[in-house]
Amino acid sequence: MRSPIQKPATKVFHWVSLVSLFLMITSGLQIYNANPVFGGREGLHIPAILGLGGWLAGGRHWHFAIMWIFVLNLLWYGVYVLLTHHWQHRYMSGKDVKALLVGENPKRKNYAWHRLVYTLLIPILLLSVFTGIGMYKPAQFYWIVDSFGGWEALRITHFMAVPITLILAGLHSQLGRKVGGDRLLDSMFWE
Amino acid sequence: MEPNQNKPDLDLESDDTDFLPRRRFLNLAGAGLLTIGFGSLAEGGVGAVSEPLNQQVESLIFQPQKLVPELPISAIEPDKLIINSFRGTPPINLANYRLIIDGAVDNPLSLSITEVQRLPFTSMVIRHVCVEGWAAIVQWGGVKLRDLIAIAKPSTQAKYAYFYSADGYYESWDLDSVMHPQTLMAYQKNSQPLEAANGAPLRLASPVKLGYKLSKWVTRIELTSELGEKQGYWEDLGYEWYAGL
Repeated sequence: MRSPIQKPATKVFHWVSLVSLFLMITSGLQIYNANPVFGGREGLHIPAILGLGGWLAGGRHWHFAIMWIFVLNLLWYGVYVLLTHHWQHRYMSGKDVKALLVGENPKRKNYAWHRLVYTLLIPILLLSVFTGIGMYKPAQFYWIVDSFGGWEALRITHFMAVPITLILAGLHSQLGRKVGGDRLLDSMFWE
Repeated sequence: MEPNQNKPDLDLESDDTDFLPRRRFLNLAGAGLLTIGFGSLAEGGVGAVSEPLNQQVESLIFQPQKLVPELPISAIEPDKLIINSFRGTPPINLANYRLIIDGAVDNPLSLSITEVQRLPFTSMVIRHVCVEGWAAIVQWGGVKLRDLIAIAKPSTQAKYAYFYSADGYYESWDLDSVMHPQTLMAYQKNSQPLEAANGAPLRLASPVKLGYKLSKWVTRIELTSELGEKQGYWEDLGYEWYAGL
């Protein structure tokens, strides 16, 4: 079997995504704890050890610093996959749907699941950027707040990106191992 | 090692690749917690590097004359406005109360609350957003701060405004946000006279700044050409100065 090879651009994107997402989620949880989305001050707190920044101001410093790296990384990679036409064969396609629905080959099915999961991560991350802009600048981007029907719904949507991303990322790492084993992992992280 | 007879035979190919090995998981968890620990210690430095850049972008995209769309009276959320203060409600004797406007102005003012209330009245229903993450839709009534500043005749050097409160709270703003048509010195909340806990007799209200910029119990507005070492109660503790919405 041919060893998988990843393009340097893909590896850089993957690494920067992984690290910036970790910093965004942990600093986001720090901010969340100032007034939990669910239940307010007396509500459901996240264990403090998972919050980056130490206090609300520190969580905000990290969140509003790393947001640039996180967003610009998504942006340049988006432009890159469009210009190089990689989007045509890198992501979930009709063939994968067919493999999942009527396919007989379990390996092909796993591969289709793998492609489905990492493809789903993209709209979720873009949604978190969109809702984040709405919460950062609700006066200037009032139409983002309005499009969610109000502040509470916007906040919940922004927060829900965290559990959804964690679940998808967990599935993504497991499916990656299932599909390509350590060789696929090494090709994405190190080689 | 004994073969595990109960091992579920899900996929003959996958074996140990089925689940993340425990050691790798512990390594990742350890690295994550270390990052959180050291990252939390470094938050001041991260803020010092990123805040000037963010502030440039924030003030660049801020449109000083553009009105933030207001909400209908029916949207008001009377129960959502949480009362925050750093040392409780200060006692204020209305008979002696004065609003001072001084500093970089040609016509310093000292106004009683009746004199303030004689100026044109503006009402708005806006979203009040707290740095903690909650928000409340509130009706505020009062006088446009730009009208007060206009009477005081600001000098060309005026770039910032400092707000001093009866409880010792202090804040500073950029002049663009001060002069925004929806920045009010409010004495009415949700169609009722402003209550002491909400900042009576006079407080800042605006859709363009976070709640901690919206000082209550304001007694003095000083226009300045520079930002001093002290920039605001929460800012001096480490919070963002611009805090624009």
